[in-house]
Amino acid sequence: MSAVQRHGSLTQIELAGVTGLSPATVSNIVKELAASGVLHTSPSTRSGRRALQVTLARGLGLVAGVHFGSRSMRVALADAAMQLLADQRMPLAPDHRADAGLRRAALLVVEMLESLDAGPEELLAVGVCLPAPVDRATGSITTVGMLRGWDGISVSEVIGRELAVPVAVDNDANLGALAETRLGAAVGHENVAYLRVSHGVGGGLVMGGQLVHGRSGGAGEIGHVTIDENGPICRCGNRGCLETFVGAPALLGMLTASHGHLTLRDVILRAEDGDPGCRRVLSDAGQHLGVAAANLCNLVDPEIVVVGGQLADAGEILLGPMRTVVEQRTMPSTAGPARVVASGLGAAAEVRGALAVALDTARVSGALGVIP
Amino acid sequence: MSDGPVLSLRGVSKNFGGVRALIDVDLDIHQHEVLAVVGDNAAGKSTLAGVIAGVYRPDAGRVLLDGAPVVLDSPAVARGLGIAAVFQELALCDNLDVVENLFLGHEPTRGGFLDEIEMERRAWDLLGQLATNVPSVRLPVRALSGGQRQVVAVARALLGSPRVVVLDEPTAALGVRQTAEVLNLVERLRERGHAVVLISHQAADLQAVADRFAVLRLGRIDGELDAASVGYEDLLAAMTGVSRPSGRKPR
Repeated sequence: MSAVQRHGSLTQIELAGVTGLSPATVSNIVKELAASGVLHTSPSTRSGRRALQVTLARGLGLVAGVHFGSRSMRVALADAAMQLLADQRMPLAPDHRADAGLRRAALLVVEMLESLDAGPEELLAVGVCLPAPVDRATGSITTVGMLRGWDGISVSEVIGRELAVPVAVDNDANLGALAETRLGAAVGHENVAYLRVSHGVGGGLVMGGQLVHGRSGGAGEIGHVTIDENGPICRCGNRGCLETFVGAPALLGMLTASHGHLTLRDVILRAEDGDPGCRRVLSDAGQHLGVAAANLCNLVDPEIVVVGGQLADAGEILLGPMRTVVEQRTMPSTAGPARVVASGLGAAAEVRGALAVALDTARVSGALGVIP
Repeated sequence: MSDGPVLSLRGVSKNFGGVRALIDVDLDIHQHEVLAVVGDNAAGKSTLAGVIAGVYRPDAGRVLLDGAPVVLDSPAVARGLGIAAVFQELALCDNLDVVENLFLGHEPTRGGFLDEIEMERRAWDLLGQLATNVPSVRLPVRALSGGQRQVVAVARALLGSPRVVVLDEPTAALGVRQTAEVLNLVERLRERGHAVVLISHQAADLQAVADRFAVLRLGRIDGELDAASVGYEDLLAAMTGVSRPSGRKPR
């Protein structure tokens, strides 16, 4: 059951491989669960042979994923088979507030349920990701002053009160890493580093197929790795963090004198059109990211480094220089340097991760109709 | 990117009888920029929109388009010069469908008949650019949601590719989902190079998309703020007159 849920959809033979059970046992379990309406099976083919595709039954209910970024919010709804049913993005003010933002997110979930003609009782669980390290037990942010107005607020409590369902809260880059590993560019890899480069810079690590959180959710926070001891002061209070070099304020600040007021998206579009200033800013950002990513590779030795967030839209302009630096600075290995690739899910990675943990939560809380 | 402003107001005033709605307003509007005009009720926001869109003729002051003075006698003249506006009351005809609303008054014809195919094609083109979810262009407008109507009204304003788009209170009376759609729409307009003037008193919505703020208070421009550095409290303080944004001396 958990295996089907995690992979979304797979054949009986693959299920046997994943669970380590014999094909006959799997076939019996699937038959039983399909009869009780929890699983849905459909005939398909795998390497030319007949096979039975197994997914969770649609009618089990819906889950919602909410992604709070620094400047936008994204809410998506999916059914138990992880089929995306609705997806809505909303720009947010800089320095947005927790109370107003969470209320809006909850209202948006309700309005989107209505647009699908689904009642609020069909919602099983909500996954929320935030652009700061999160304590998953309390659902609150564990850094101080990084997201102004969010300190000490238990997001799971607030959303849980509004929507009356179990809520899972995690860091956005962590859930991006999870989504890329389960569904995106890093499928089939056990050790994955995910860098989310947008307005801020975050990171998530999957080791041995499991998300790494560390003591208080701060594992993988590559945005606050020191690049220059004497560098500018970062919003976290330290000096010369990666984010002070490749975060949106730094990149846009470099272009203000020559290009005026731009958004991150303007910079990427112009770089693609060949604007030399914008290209330079992005390739320099790629180099800085490369330095930090190389250090990360030397520490945890991932098979693949996935770059997501808005800046990943710049493609090779950013990734090329980054890859070069990573290759230069990692310890040579017989396996070759870690691959550096762009996100497979794009801007939807984090919200897909939020949907995935929502479904995990629904299963653990017993909402899927089977005892875990 | 052209350096000069597309549209400038210089010393514009407008009175309605004894009420001084706008007093000596200076404002520059640039391409590829979202200028948010904020202000309390009766600050003169809608009058300002009216002046820019040619609905009201200013009693004093000049309107400059690309640096050259122009007289905006009527909305039609303003449209001809590339300035389009969507007002609080959307002025759509409930009983007509989306295509009819879009082309009302300037329908393309072929051989003396309305060119329905051309109209429908262009309607889909426009709505596609705005990435909308209007289910059918042949639905009467009254069957659409508030957000979808707003999109139709904006699409109509975009016919003929205006350079300046004025949106007056576009998110008032909309649900969260529709507000999200309208804000996404504003971002796309900006991306396409339009100059967008967004008028509202919902500071948080404006902050989400604006590049620059002009604070209007009791008919005067009380100051301009850079969206990158302004906080929610600063904006509210400026709207209510608690503080005067720097960069402009108090009068």
